[in-house]
Amino acid sequence: MQGILEKNLERAGTLASFAILLVFWQLCAMRMGAAYLPSPVTVLQKAVIMFRESIGGNSMFAHIGYSLRRVLAAYLLAGVLGIPLGIAMGWNTTVHKIVNPVFELLRPIPPLAWIPLAILWLGIGEGPKIFICFVGAFVVFVLNAYTGMRYTERLLIDAARTFGATRNQQLFNVAIPASLPSVFAGVQNAMSMAWMCVVAAELVGAREGVGFIIIQGGDLGDVPMIIVGMVTIGLIGFFLAVSLRLLERMLCPWRRDLNQ
Amino acid sequence: MPDVKPVAAHPPPQPKIKSMLREYWISVASLIGFLCFWEALCRFGIVGSYQLVPPSEVFSVFLEKFWDTSPDGATLQVHTLTSLGLALGAFAMAMLTGIPLGLFMGWYKPVRILARPIFDSMRPIPPIAWISLAILWLGIGYTAKVFIIWLSAFVPCVINAYIGITLANPVLIRVSNIYGASNWETFRKIGVPSAIPMIFTGLKLSLNAAWTTLVAAELLAASEGLGFLIQMGRRIARPDIIIVGMIAIGFSGALMSALLSYIESRFASSRSL
Repeated sequence: MQGILEKNLERAGTLASFAILLVFWQLCAMRMGAAYLPSPVTVLQKAVIMFRESIGGNSMFAHIGYSLRRVLAAYLLAGVLGIPLGIAMGWNTTVHKIVNPVFELLRPIPPLAWIPLAILWLGIGEGPKIFICFVGAFVVFVLNAYTGMRYTERLLIDAARTFGATRNQQLFNVAIPASLPSVFAGVQNAMSMAWMCVVAAELVGAREGVGFIIIQGGDLGDVPMIIVGMVTIGLIGFFLAVSLRLLERMLCPWRRDLNQ
Repeated sequence: MPDVKPVAAHPPPQPKIKSMLREYWISVASLIGFLCFWEALCRFGIVGSYQLVPPSEVFSVFLEKFWDTSPDGATLQVHTLTSLGLALGAFAMAMLTGIPLGLFMGWYKPVRILARPIFDSMRPIPPIAWISLAILWLGIGYTAKVFIIWLSAFVPCVINAYIGITLANPVLIRVSNIYGASNWETFRKIGVPSAIPMIFTGLKLSLNAAWTTLVAAELLAASEGLGFLIQMGRRIARPDIIIVGMIAIGFSGALMSALLSYIESRFASSRSL
């Protein structure tokens, strides 16, 4: 009884919070004028129009498709290269010693700082956007896989060795499964990183994609368009994160109790 | 009595440089190999000089850039100081606003119920995506950039302060209640100190985010700063300038993180509960 009451109270609080946000937005919109901040209703109307008509020669869905394609290409490439590299670095000291200095040299440079160089190298097409997302996601993949391997309990590996497991068995049957939770944390962080990077890369220079919508809105002085672009970016980022969490739950079931 | 010779518990100490050399020669070789590869790539004309310059040239341009103001109108240290000022200013603001909000969200239920949905619904939007709106609202100058950087640094501060204070040991809280401490007193003396380790983790993330966002903001709208420097390098196709800028960005970022870790080790260790 107490629990139900509390839950309802919490739900009401959440609704109240959104209501406050909307009212506040509406008041600000009235105070600042539509040229600076359109009201929520205006933004909603604009969203309907934007999803029906084309913007810069592409429909809204095509723009989303462009961004998603860039992110997924870079993300998959980064995962396929980064996770094995991180695992190798965590398992083998020599690999670590070889790779780590170069990695540490390049790591402090934020992925977005590669944008100018990427444009010089790869032109202004798909190349630099995919490259930037790749750099962002790759670092996260490597670091998390490496950390997972480093923090694998010594005891587990020693136990496997005592039972006569070969070095390969120790790696594939003990160390890698033990490091999977950390790898999966990387899988999620890398996605949000890649998504942030694609937005930034598209802001700097693109003719299609969700970042382009924002820049286009800014160039046209069309504030509702900017806001619709931002909300779209937020929603897609959110759905990407949620779907990865579901994937983790399917692939990594022994993590479930840790989550709760 | 048998003649037992004392066995050395540790191997005799080797000369330090020699043992370090044995430990690290692979790493050093790998670094040198990386630089040689890069140098060769440029020297043998595999990549054009408008795309990449050899490290030796980058080094000399790096040194030159300390007093040479061409082609972007300022020396390297001016750009760096501009960027540092911007990032650290916004970071400090994020710290002062984000940590209290996170702490209150974790401690007081009404604050959590009201603030959390708004916070959670804004969070998936990358701070950089605010840039057009920020420029529209605040103009193209300093303030718009501070706003975006503040936003990016604010989020980790709030989250980590929030998680940190919810991790406070309930036994300590109950003890403090039993001994008649007010809620505010418990918050101050138990809640906040227990959150400090998490807060420091959050500060590191937030500094990182601030620095990344600074670069993006300066790429998009600036006439000074390291992000502007590399953007300028791209416009006039000078990879040497870009790489010098990237080195300065990476180095300053690493330096700030190291400084924060040092402060953490001095401060957090003496206050742990």
